[in-house]
Amino acid sequence: MRSFAIVLLAAGLALPVLGGQYNAVVDIGAPMPSFSKLPATDGSTLSSKDLHDDVVVLVFLANHCPWVNGMDADLVKLADEFKGKSVRFVGVALNHREDDRLPAMKVHAATKGYDFTYVYDENQKLGAALGATRTPEYFVFDKDRKLVYMGAIHDSPAHMTRGGEVLYTRGEPKTMYVRDAIVETLAGRPVQIKETRAQGCTLEYEQ
Amino acid sequence: MRPAIAAVLLALTLTASPAVHLRSVTYAQWQKELARMRGHVVVVDLWATWCAPCLERFPRMIELAKQWEPEGVQFVSMSFDDRNEPGSFDHVLKFLIAHDARIPNYMIDEVLPEAFDDFNLNSVPAVLIYDAGGTLRARLTGDDPRHQFTEADVEAALKRLVRHGS
Repeated sequence: MRSFAIVLLAAGLALPVLGGQYNAVVDIGAPMPSFSKLPATDGSTLSSKDLHDDVVVLVFLANHCPWVNGMDADLVKLADEFKGKSVRFVGVALNHREDDRLPAMKVHAATKGYDFTYVYDENQKLGAALGATRTPEYFVFDKDRKLVYMGAIHDSPAHMTRGGEVLYTRGEPKTMYVRDAIVETLAGRPVQIKETRAQGCTLEYEQ
Repeated sequence: MRPAIAAVLLALTLTASPAVHLRSVTYAQWQKELARMRGHVVVVDLWATWCAPCLERFPRMIELAKQWEPEGVQFVSMSFDDRNEPGSFDHVLKFLIAHDARIPNYMIDEVLPEAFDDFNLNSVPAVLIYDAGGTLRARLTGDDPRHQFTEADVEAALKRLVRHGS
């Protein structure tokens, strides 16, 4: 029976879906997993108990990923928009390839102008608990630390080309999913679009 | 490099490796291609040159293609490179030639988010395995942190399907 279940799981077939539409692990309403003393690019550490804002945005990133690089400016702009509001952005990396580890994260954060905490989830427990599998992938939590949105930043995923240009796959973004989720949550309204497909690079879990 | 020189170099490379081809297909055209392969177990390697783990895995997939060819298994590659990025088709073709990918190679001719929706995929790498009747029998992806696939899963699925018929 166990081997049969493993076969089905490996094939992604037939077992009941426990997560969301695009997430195999969590669904909207899930609690934010607790985490402790994740090292950050600024030399500090961050624990979930340190987060006191009304909205917390966790975004999974990978320095090497062209989709992260393509949407870095959108992320920085979005975080800037909510400066002075009770919103906390936290970037999270977890890949073990050298160009995604903490030393490279420090360079990336400085180069891209990340003005928010960027932590390294080396044991990958936070990412696994959230079912995060792509970069960039956003998880927005309300004041009670319940998940209110997960997925892409907006409706036109962008990547960095080989020539160093940002190329939006659907032209100028029209619907800003994460911004809308934050605004609605701050206003105490339910989030209208709760889940989208976060297109990007695959996060690599050490099995 | 001047475009004319680059074109000549690409042509020379193509001449040196005539068995490696790449075809751009819409999702509808891909479905027809897949239907034409009925009678064979088909392994579709979904990848992209922007995907670091895909590039690392690609040589192993070519090895597996050679290994399983005598048993009638057809390996196919489908690139999810962005058709709108200048030079993307040639870039994919060069990679395929460099890896002597003598299997049917395709590049999806769709806006990428729509391609991911069509294949119901979150990202690449991923592998789809169809039985000889064209039924999807294994969908190996990285979409679950607890069960991201490896090439060992591809081999295990093929052994079940080809040698044990299950």
